[in-house]
Amino acid sequence: MTVLAVTRLELRRLAVRPLAWALAALTIAWLAWTFILGLGQFVAQQVKYAAVADAPGFTDLVAIPLLAELAKLAFLVVPLMTMTQLAGERRNGTLALLASTGLPPWRIVLGKYLAVLVWLALWLMATLAMPLVVGLESTADWGKLASATLGTALMLATLAAIGIACSAATSFPAIAAAMALIVTLALWTIDRGAQAAGVNGGFLEWLTMATHLQNLLRGLVTTADLAWFALAIAFALTLAIRRLGADRERQ
Amino acid sequence: MIGDGLLNVEGVSRRRAGRAAVADVSFRLNGGEVLGLLGVNGAGKSTTLSMLAGALRPDRGRILLAGKDFVAHPGLARTLVGWLPESAPLWPELSVDEHLLAFARLRGATRAAARRAADAMVARLQLEPLRRRMAGVLSQGQRQRLGLACALVHDPALIILDEPANALDPVQVGELRKLIRERAAAGAAIILSTHVLGEVVAVCDRVAILHQGSLRHDAPLQGDEGGKALEATFFGIATGNAA
Repeated sequence: MTVLAVTRLELRRLAVRPLAWALAALTIAWLAWTFILGLGQFVAQQVKYAAVADAPGFTDLVAIPLLAELAKLAFLVVPLMTMTQLAGERRNGTLALLASTGLPPWRIVLGKYLAVLVWLALWLMATLAMPLVVGLESTADWGKLASATLGTALMLATLAAIGIACSAATSFPAIAAAMALIVTLALWTIDRGAQAAGVNGGFLEWLTMATHLQNLLRGLVTTADLAWFALAIAFALTLAIRRLGADRERQ
Repeated sequence: MIGDGLLNVEGVSRRRAGRAAVADVSFRLNGGEVLGLLGVNGAGKSTTLSMLAGALRPDRGRILLAGKDFVAHPGLARTLVGWLPESAPLWPELSVDEHLLAFARLRGATRAAARRAADAMVARLQLEPLRRRMAGVLSQGQRQRLGLACALVHDPALIILDEPANALDPVQVGELRKLIRERAAAGAAIILSTHVLGEVVAVCDRVAILHQGSLRHDAPLQGDEGGKALEATFFGIATGNAA
């Protein structure tokens, strides 16, 4: 299966490039620090919360804020991880070489997307290991943590698809990263103007990524939210595939 | 229909940057034949080769590979075509061995078959001492040899070489010529694009000359041992004084 051949090739390239390791090391160090701070505060407040019925627990006060911190970092990390995927290949001339192997654009795009997903999944798992280890010895809300993890994973997958689409649109990796950052920030805050005007609900709120992630972070899994992420991923990957196909027409 | 060769190029045209880079080019190539493609800079050689390699789609015309339309069946390139583009683009962070394995796998080989093919190319192109070295630290000549190995690793029926002798030393040029003749003897059709007329005279059976996107000459090379006639024809076309 040539999709997997592209994925393997891309994973090998990620494994030997310093960028992926540097990003992983720096961000995980930051997240570990955030986790330790959160855990310290949680332990310090135990006496206060002991007297409160339905008080927030370890999941609400430590695990989910950690995932939210990872989601914030992802706005920067994912564009950096995806920027060279197609833009760098086009610039080096290796994209034409890949095309000459007879691979249709969808296989190239999907193969590269899967490779980025594998890296992001490892990043998420390394982060998640911290609350999981503590959660096993405490009373974590596993259902809520699973929902929040699913939401974070879907958000990462969406950012990766947008990053790949932006990388397909240009020959300059830095421009691809900047485009991906702007598009994802726009998608995150697109309803802010409407909210400031006192308008809630409607199309803009539905279009905003934050609306759908926040439900999942609260432990609410709905088909509508899952469908939004699936649609966003499919739309971004379709754009990338079409742009790559157009390369053969308009180079 | 022009004929029933391995490769039939029929009236192929392609515009690039608002001008006709290739205009109504037709030729045929049989298995075992080596075609030299000549032309001054900007004549349309690289555009033609990119279309034959499947990296670029023609605006008009047809490319038939083993009797099938190449545009309608782009997957044909996967097993039948090997392409060495000009300047041999490679992934700088991957080793020689990883390049060969990746290209064999991308062409659909199983893991074991890819390993065998990579080993064979390493041995044939004397890449053993470079095997674990990253492409980014190779010399230009070594990069060229690796690019050639990647183009040949799946034993293609049509081999497209764009300036393959670039940066090679005289001994390596001799090896390259031997390799080209060897592959042709094994039945592969080979297109060799170069600026060096001597290269064409040394290894090609036929020569085609492109000028301003059009095919101006396509004839066998027999009886032109010194390349004098070819030189006269080429300069005649290139300077606009062709008979």
